[in-house]
Amino acid sequence: MTIDWWTLALQAINVLVLLFILSRFLFRPVVAMMAERQAAATRDLDAARAARKAAEAEQAKAKTEAAAIAAARKDKLDAAATDAEAQKKALLAAARAEVEALRKGAEAEISAARATAEREDADRASHLAVDIAARLLTRVPAEAQVFPFIGDLADGVAALPEASRTTLAAAEGPLALKAPRALTEAEADACRTKLAAVLGRPVTLAVEVVPELIAGLELDAPHAVVRNTFRADLDRILKELTRHGA
Amino acid sequence: MQSPLAIEPLFHLGPVPVTEPVVVTWGILLALGGGAFLATRHLKLVPGRGQALLEAVVSTIDSQIRDTMQVDPAPYRALIGGIFLFVLTANWVSLIPGLEPPTAHVETDAALALIVFVATIGYGIKARGLAGYLKTFAEPTWVMIPLNVVEQITRTFSLVVRLFGNIMSGVFVIGIILSLAGLLVPIPLMALDLLTGAVQAYIFAVLATVFIGAAVSEGEAPAPQAPAPPQKTEAP
Repeated sequence: MTIDWWTLALQAINVLVLLFILSRFLFRPVVAMMAERQAAATRDLDAARAARKAAEAEQAKAKTEAAAIAAARKDKLDAAATDAEAQKKALLAAARAEVEALRKGAEAEISAARATAEREDADRASHLAVDIAARLLTRVPAEAQVFPFIGDLADGVAALPEASRTTLAAAEGPLALKAPRALTEAEADACRTKLAAVLGRPVTLAVEVVPELIAGLELDAPHAVVRNTFRADLDRILKELTRHGA
Repeated sequence: MQSPLAIEPLFHLGPVPVTEPVVVTWGILLALGGGAFLATRHLKLVPGRGQALLEAVVSTIDSQIRDTMQVDPAPYRALIGGIFLFVLTANWVSLIPGLEPPTAHVETDAALALIVFVATIGYGIKARGLAGYLKTFAEPTWVMIPLNVVEQITRTFSLVVRLFGNIMSGVFVIGIILSLAGLLVPIPLMALDLLTGAVQAYIFAVLATVFIGAAVSEGEAPAPQAPAPPQKTEAP
């Protein structure tokens, strides 16, 4: 076996040339393109990363704004709630005041009504008491219905003012005398005697029977009235009992 | 009787005899060079099928170099990848009727092994410096210097003999069977030759990578993306 050294040398040169050609026209451009693609991918990744960061920043900003909006909304809601609470309190206070006023008015009305009722009750009781007293006094014996009152009637006439008594004394005709029953002769004489003594002249009497007087005598003159009867007493008592606040 | 391994010059360029392997190699050179030029004229960021195939080949070569040498594959891509593509193409030239693979002649294999031998020394010196490279012959002890020197030579010869023996034997077997049995009988063996050619191209490239890697190891920083530990590849 022999080796052709020329062939060996040519083949070595051929292989070296081929290595150069492949390096120049195959590996270098392919690797350059791969590197360019990788660079482009890296750029795209960087851009995507930057976009993602920007998006995250925007998201964070949006979150912040949303939080601010939520805080503002909460503040407004709180303010509205505070206002509503204040208005509620004011309304409640007004309502309470109104209710209190109404209650006081009602209480006043109730008190007035109660006072009125009490007065009416008192009046009715007074009238009832006077009626009872009048009924009881009707049981006074007939002899006690007139005679004991004659002296008092004369005293009453004497107690009249001078002018009234003078006018009464100067009057002509009989004196109008009211009695609960017809006077007996003795009672009529006693009356005339007593009155004549007081008036200083003889007296005639025109007796009118008024059973409502119960007991006692009542002298009616044009300018004076002298009452000395149970009815007058009862009327005075009733008047006193039914006088409220005077 | 003339040796079947002897080659006769087809013509002479001055004093230089041009033999068939040289002519076939020129054809391969033109085919690979022209093909590479045409294939890489219009590379795009979004690759087509052809560009994707090219990139897959280059990526595979890079990956193989990185896995084996644990260094950046860029300085060695052209040598290892070029040798692989040339040996593969040369081995498969037998598919063209009337052509013999240049690698079936020892001169071509010797030229390739010589290039690998020189490249190993050159890369070793570049990575370690002359003194550092020479010191590797004294590892683990100075007693090993003769053995290491012999190893450098013998493994280069092993590259030559392995490739030459496999391809030459395939050519001879197919030729003998063709002469004995007929036209279609060698086809299974030719298919087997395709596999053998691819495997031998891979083995030659990987062994070249291992030799260069051993020369530059501890002299260069590891590759930034080293997915696997170095492979121990043994020839069959």
